[in-house]
Amino acid sequence: MSSYLNTRVSLFRQRLWQDADFDALIGAPAEEVPAALDERQLALLAIGFGGDAPLSLEGRIIAELLRETRILVRPLRGEARRFIVYWTERFEISNLKTLIRAKMAGERSAAVADRLIDMGPFSRLDLDTLSHVEDVGELLRRLESSPYGGIVRNARRAFEQGHDPFILDATLDRSYFEALVRTARPLRDTAGEGFGELMRCLIDRVNLVWLLRYRFNYGLPPAQVYYLLVASPFGMAPDTLRRLVTRADLAGVLDELPPRLGRALAGCSDIVELFARLERELARRAHAMLRGGGHALTRAFAYLILREYDLRGVRAVLRGRQLGLPLTSIRQALGRPPAMQGVGGG
Amino acid sequence: MFRALPMLRVKLWCLASEAQDMALLLARHGVFNPAAEADAPLPAEPGSEYREVFEEAEARMAKIVGYCGLGELPPIPADAIAPNLRELRGINGRLREIWQDCSASQENELRVADERKRLATLEATYAHLKGLDVDLSRLLGAGSLLDAHIGQVAIVNVGRLRDSLALAGQVMTVFDRDGEHVYAVVAGPRGETELGGLLAQAGWRELPLPPELQTHPEAAGRYLAAERQRLDALAGGYCETRAQKHAQYADWLKQARILLMLARPLAEAACDGLRGQGHLHLFSGWAPRRDLPRLQAGLEARFQGRYLLQWREPEAGERVPSLLHHPAWLRPFAALVTGYGVPRYGEFDPTLLFAVTYVLLFGAMFGDVGHGAVLLLLFFGLRRRLGGLARVGIWASLASIGFGVLYGSVFGYEEWLHPVWLSPMHDPGHLLRLAVYAGVAFMAVTLLIHAGNRFAEGRPGVALFAPAGLAGLVFYLAMVAGLDAWFRGAGFPLVAGLTAVGALALAAAHVWIETRAPFGERLLVTFIESFEAAIGLFANTLSFLRVAAFSLNHVALALAVFTLASGMQGVGYGLTLVLGNVVIIVLEGAIVAIQALRLMYYEGFSRFFIADGVEFKPLRLEGRPGV
Repeated sequence: MSSYLNTRVSLFRQRLWQDADFDALIGAPAEEVPAALDERQLALLAIGFGGDAPLSLEGRIIAELLRETRILVRPLRGEARRFIVYWTERFEISNLKTLIRAKMAGERSAAVADRLIDMGPFSRLDLDTLSHVEDVGELLRRLESSPYGGIVRNARRAFEQGHDPFILDATLDRSYFEALVRTARPLRDTAGEGFGELMRCLIDRVNLVWLLRYRFNYGLPPAQVYYLLVASPFGMAPDTLRRLVTRADLAGVLDELPPRLGRALAGCSDIVELFARLERELARRAHAMLRGGGHALTRAFAYLILREYDLRGVRAVLRGRQLGLPLTSIRQALGRPPAMQGVGGG
Repeated sequence: MFRALPMLRVKLWCLASEAQDMALLLARHGVFNPAAEADAPLPAEPGSEYREVFEEAEARMAKIVGYCGLGELPPIPADAIAPNLRELRGINGRLREIWQDCSASQENELRVADERKRLATLEATYAHLKGLDVDLSRLLGAGSLLDAHIGQVAIVNVGRLRDSLALAGQVMTVFDRDGEHVYAVVAGPRGETELGGLLAQAGWRELPLPPELQTHPEAAGRYLAAERQRLDALAGGYCETRAQKHAQYADWLKQARILLMLARPLAEAACDGLRGQGHLHLFSGWAPRRDLPRLQAGLEARFQGRYLLQWREPEAGERVPSLLHHPAWLRPFAALVTGYGVPRYGEFDPTLLFAVTYVLLFGAMFGDVGHGAVLLLLFFGLRRRLGGLARVGIWASLASIGFGVLYGSVFGYEEWLHPVWLSPMHDPGHLLRLAVYAGVAFMAVTLLIHAGNRFAEGRPGVALFAPAGLAGLVFYLAMVAGLDAWFRGAGFPLVAGLTAVGALALAAAHVWIETRAPFGERLLVTFIESFEAAIGLFANTLSFLRVAAFSLNHVALALAVFTLASGMQGVGYGLTLVLGNVVIIVLEGAIVAIQALRLMYYEGFSRFFIADGVEFKPLRLEGRPGV
């Protein structure tokens, strides 16, 4: 099965976007954009180009990702399958957050339903029933008996203490990534070093961005920030994280980073730039995994990361064009280097 | 019986003020499946608010009924009318008030249940606190030098919380465990750090230690006993409240429940197929051709010309719902077929083929007069409890008896009855050959049906050239003929070989043309699909060997039982025979039933039955209709 998956991933790899493809999409006349998207097997995105709401575009990007994930997951069994399926479930976590926020704001059920992402066969929640509950308390109680009971239980207790939506969001996010790490842990030996490296890059990115945001944007105390980070055997060790949370500013955090991260992030002046660099670093590693011919699961995971990275880039371009932004601003927002220096997608 | 009933695309225009009555009439007739029109002539979706209010009311009704019950509903009067939007809003508003009233009581019940649980935990925890030999008034009192918290936290959060607290100069000591949670003391220098945010994040639940618990243990014990008594009294009171609420609201809730049943048709139609503008509403959907005159008569009787009914034939490419009609004896088999999938509109309905083949396969694999008779009695006795499944069982048992007569087998004894045809064990090779021939015939029929279905869909290319179409059939029959000659020692005829290669090449070319993908992927798909189709045909055919294998297995199991029994005497002999036969009937009977189903689903249906049809779901009125 792994050779079938490898072949599948290699075929899918042709769908990844080169930097030059983005340049072409940015510069294409409006009437040629649907055809250009259709040509890249993105017919779903091409359909509504021109006058659709941004949320439906997001929904269609996720639908495309789920469609490809469904194909890749077919030959997988056991822990490998569980991991890839769980990777898609962050979209369902975002549905959870949408539901919770809507209930807090007292929105109508029908209005909420429109904003939920259709997870198709990956769906594990009865969104219809959940969108009709009366309040957040009832919603959380019902969710406790759902497949996300473990994640929600923590969040509910935290929420009951403070009724703070930030606490709820942060706890849900942390619990999701810790569950992802638990799903990934048994694969460390079977899926090879590359898999661990991808997970390390992913968890480091999550932890570092959260750390900076919680510490310096929200002004949380070091102990609380440390608690909110993802505990993981992948990525920075607990001692390092403990040192980082006590630093007084961004420069202090950058000074304390392990050398590999320090080099990649040297000279960063704000969180946005740091996030973009970490994204690029993750994409670079994922490209290397794809090219390297490693374990089939690792290559499939790398492909999914890159595909999402690409599609979010496409979304940025389409939205930029819809808003009539200058081409240079769209290119800048894309966060990709110019085509000649870019990392090859193929 | 072999296709879904012919459908007509129906448009029904009516006055907006009569829309809910129109929906109700359609539901009473049960022949109208609402479906949105691709190019709807009216722009607005007038029923969306009705539907939204209905759904809210339904959700509230379910919660209220879940809390205080409803009891049996009276029949719906034949002249009952559906509520309009204003009335539905009124019902919803009243339901909201009732639910607010009930939910307050329910919340109180939940709170008391929580409190009782926590009290029980508190009692156990207090026993541990005493064991710690800590004077809690000193630890938690105003004069203490420490800022201390005693509370409960999930066990999975302990390590992380302890590390985080250390960063804030605090110490955490766990002193008790209760399932997934631990009880702990968090303490540090007073007034140095604000821990509220961190503890909340960890889901820390402060253990309420009232002053009574912080004094002498005996006084604490008295407090706990009093608390238990109080909570028991409260719980009893809430049970009474629940009964009171039922008595208070049940009559109105029954009326509201019936009104919601009457409102459901319009709410459902609003989801799909209801459009409007101004004072005009349009219901779009599907209705069986045979039922249209009856519907028209009903419309005329109720609305006397204040409507317009239009219909047309389905157009190519339209997704038409399938309404299957079967005689009563075939319906239990239909349930097994739709368990696999609903036939597309126009697709061959395999229910009759399924019923006949399934029953024959079961009989062939489990042919025994005695065992079949026992199953027959069993299914006949359980027919009320098992419903349709019992009828499938009765047919299968009769087939088992029939094949038992052909095999000459009664409870495994082959001496009591002379076989009308042959005893399986006496010529197993012949039986295996027959099973393969049966498989070939079955596969050929499935391929023909597949081709017929594609022709009916207007896709002659697929019918002729697809690997599962006529090209596949020609390949398959040519290969079977060639292999048959080869096994008989006459070599593989050149004509058969060339025919098979040619047909396979045609099928591969068809896959190539139909695949839309980059070159590499296209090549891979063509190769794998053609290869899989060719191998699959023979693998599926060989699956039919299990028919012979299970009929041999049946005899072999009976022989094993006789051998075991012959080693005993008297009661032991009889007991072994009876138990052995029970094992054969239950275990082998179940296995054969599953194997026959498997042969039908995987070797049969997967070959020709697309089964992605849409079930015809007409608007219907829930509940008991009245006179």
